Amino acid sequence: MEAFIQPGFWIFVLAMAGIYGVFSLGLQIQYGVAGVMNFGHVGMMAITGYAIAILVIRFQWSFWWAAFVGVALAALGGALLGLSTLRLSGDYFAIASIAFAEITRYWILNSDGITGGTQGTLAIPNPRGFGGYTDQPDVILYWIMDRLTPYLGDNASRDLAILLVVWPFFFLFLWISARLQKTSWARVLRATREDDDVPRSLGKNVFRFRLQALVIGSVFGGIAGAFWAVQFMLLAPEDFLRIVTFYGWMILILAGATRVKGLAIAAIFFGFLYGATRFVEFWPISLLSAPERSYLRIFLIGVVLIALMVKRPQGLFGKRQEMVLE
Amino acid sequence: MTPFYTSISKKMFASNEGWPVTDLIQYLFNGLVAGSIFAIAAVGISLLYSVLRLVNFAAGDFLTLGAFITYFFSVTLELNFILSIIISMLAGMAICWFLELVLWRNLRRNKAGTLALFLVATGVALMLRPIIQYIFGTETRRFNVDILKTYDFFGARIPQTQLIVLIFATISILLIALYMAKARVGKDMRAYANNPSLAAVSGINVDRVVMATWLISGALGSLAGVFQGLVQGQFNNAMGETLLLSFFAAVVLGTIGDAYGALVGGLLLGLFMELSQLDIFFGGVPSNYKPVVAFAALVLVLLFKPEGLFGYRSRKV
Amino acid sequence: MAILEVRDISVSFGGIKPVRGVSFSVEPGSFTSIIGPNGAGKTSLFNLISGVNKIDTGEILFRGEEVHGLHAHQIAERGLVRTFQGAKIIKRLTVAENLMMAVQGNPGDSLWRFFTPRSRSKFEKYARYLAMERLDRVGLTKYADEFAGILSGGQRKLLDLSRALMTNPSMILLDEPFAGVNPTLVEKLLEVLASMRKQYEITFLLIEHDLETVMNISERVIVMAEGKIIADGLPNSIYENEQVIDAYLGSRKRGA
Repeated sequence: MEAFIQPGFWIFVLAMAGIYGVFSLGLQIQYGVAGVMNFGHVGMMAITGYAIAILVIRFQWSFWWAAFVGVALAALGGALLGLSTLRLSGDYFAIASIAFAEITRYWILNSDGITGGTQGTLAIPNPRGFGGYTDQPDVILYWIMDRLTPYLGDNASRDLAILLVVWPFFFLFLWISARLQKTSWARVLRATREDDDVPRSLGKNVFRFRLQALVIGSVFGGIAGAFWAVQFMLLAPEDFLRIVTFYGWMILILAGATRVKGLAIAAIFFGFLYGATRFVEFWPISLLSAPERSYLRIFLIGVVLIALMVKRPQGLFGKRQEMVLE
Repeated sequence: MTPFYTSISKKMFASNEGWPVTDLIQYLFNGLVAGSIFAIAAVGISLLYSVLRLVNFAAGDFLTLGAFITYFFSVTLELNFILSIIISMLAGMAICWFLELVLWRNLRRNKAGTLALFLVATGVALMLRPIIQYIFGTETRRFNVDILKTYDFFGARIPQTQLIVLIFATISILLIALYMAKARVGKDMRAYANNPSLAAVSGINVDRVVMATWLISGALGSLAGVFQGLVQGQFNNAMGETLLLSFFAAVVLGTIGDAYGALVGGLLLGLFMELSQLDIFFGGVPSNYKPVVAFAALVLVLLFKPEGLFGYRSRKV
Repeated sequence: MAILEVRDISVSFGGIKPVRGVSFSVEPGSFTSIIGPNGAGKTSLFNLISGVNKIDTGEILFRGEEVHGLHAHQIAERGLVRTFQGAKIIKRLTVAENLMMAVQGNPGDSLWRFFTPRSRSKFEKYARYLAMERLDRVGLTKYADEFAGILSGGQRKLLDLSRALMTNPSMILLDEPFAGVNPTLVEKLLEVLASMRKQYEITFLLIEHDLETVMNISERVIVMAEGKIIADGLPNSIYENEQVIDAYLGSRKRGA
């Protein structure tokens, strides 16, 4: 139980919550607003993360430019995915989006010369002999840590610095998203969620609206990928398994698909689940080995998803009325 | 990890110069084997979609489960192999029966939407996977069969286990097709899939049809899992999960929701994936990209013929 | 010049041919009804004209321009708007939002205008004003801020009609607006339609399976059966048409 009273644990939980909060905000715009079921969201995270790593390590770009290009590539990925398959009905698009993410991951896995393959970004061929890419953001993170050390001592960790950087961004994005959801753009999309023939018959280019939502969501997925890349300092293909997309979905469903404010709380809940299954030492979790715990996490996420969909499909913060209106 | 058999047959090839037909026969055979397994798994998924509009994300893990249960009875408890397979099919059916009773039926009553079905199926997969891992561990397993014995057929290496799998899979496929065509439940399923409300008023017991669909897909999942485990030679708890998208590709290729289409789609996809390694296709796709071939096939079908090989759609402008 | 001109259009879906060589034209400001038994291809015809489905052969001209290759939304933008069978309203938008969504040229529909909130809110006010005006006309003002899902069947039809009007169309296609509506409400709907016609000079093309309902309001009736036009003329002349009596009215007339 000690872990729960250690600040380090909660700092990690909140840092993860911020990163995955941004990630699931992308899903919220795609599904909550536009009704697009994207199950390949993790692909955007992978694209941005790997783009940053490759551009910085191999081509010696500045981190900031690399991050910008990385996010732009995620947007491009979303646009390509959408242009090719968004005209299909929901089921088909969901399957196609998974395929998109898996193709991305397989490419990363099997392109040793570019991505480092199974060994991750440390193995990216580089002229400097060192496979790190966080030098430039680290300058800022260490500056923050230095300022806080006098007050917080050892607790002024890198995680804390990340937390302090990520959450303002998360709130900014939440605010933007809330504003976005009040526009008539979002109103048309909410209509398409229910019945896309109607807006079409009123002169709305439904495909364009959906594509825009998909691309905006992908941008948030990409930004989350950039944060993720900085937080963990190295990337490997198994960081971008299908399951990560469902982390995002769990947060979204927990919050209620259309609830902007619920997202932060749901993200913290997820961060707690993630951190608790990783670090916490108490019975019965202490009986499990590290890989078994990651399986426990997956199991719990499965449980939460099923329980929510069966008992409370509108999420913790959603209105039931919106789900049951006939 | 490269399956055991691939590494052997690849080496054999290298020394087997001269006859280009050998390659073709080898890949055709491999393709038929892989395709027949895809077909069996795809039928289960396609049936569930046609009856429930459910894309079964848990299908892959049911395969893994089937392989592991068979392993448990045949290797750990040293029971007869065929008997073990039957037990594992029954176990697959039992789990599907249980889930239908406690989970899916309620969702149906609550008129759960596409997303709910998607996510619950995913949730089932996410729960199943750790359970399998916890009970059976993460080590790779191998059935108690002779995987080294191979026959020579015009220079191509035909492993005995794969030949047996191909024979039994073909019989299974024929039985499934026959069952769908002749049995009352098969007809009811098609009637219900075509028009649920009409089927309900015309006296078809909906719960019974849905339950039958689940039982069939549970049994087929386990069967496909055993076959896949045999063909790979060795398997671990990630076996089914990695194949899931290939199954989806087979289902979409054969027109989503069309059981016969899924059989054909599975066979075609298996052949396509293996034959893509022939030199004439861009110098041969490397074998570690085989799954990508399946995904690419999936995306291409979705792009150019989303209604699948056997469907039609009303064209949208 | 005819506002809508349909020239010999056909379509088939996997062996079924719901529309086979249909031609007709509609004069501006007129009120035309297409009648026919179920399965005559009326709704399929609407789907082709409004761009929901694509024609196999033939031509469709709206105000002299070819529209059969256009997307549904492009056709709607040109002023040819349709309604759907059973009044498709958006249940999870409020009644007012249902109407506001339909206003054309909303800058807020463009994502780039996210950065110019002032122009957006100005237009929103205008759209809201228009919406309230329309709601007032059909007596739905008190429901303006309720979810449209709570409306009754008849109220939904009224909302559906008003929404089509919000796009400022020059022609409206109505798909069975009177189906499943009680006689009193049919009267009310007919009244609303007549007043709309008078006020906005809109051309109406309407689908109905029952001739009597549209007898008085229609200036012209087109009868369809098995994907073809079998009669076309004044409402009264339809009663005397032999083919129509055989194919459609026959059963009722003889039975009576």
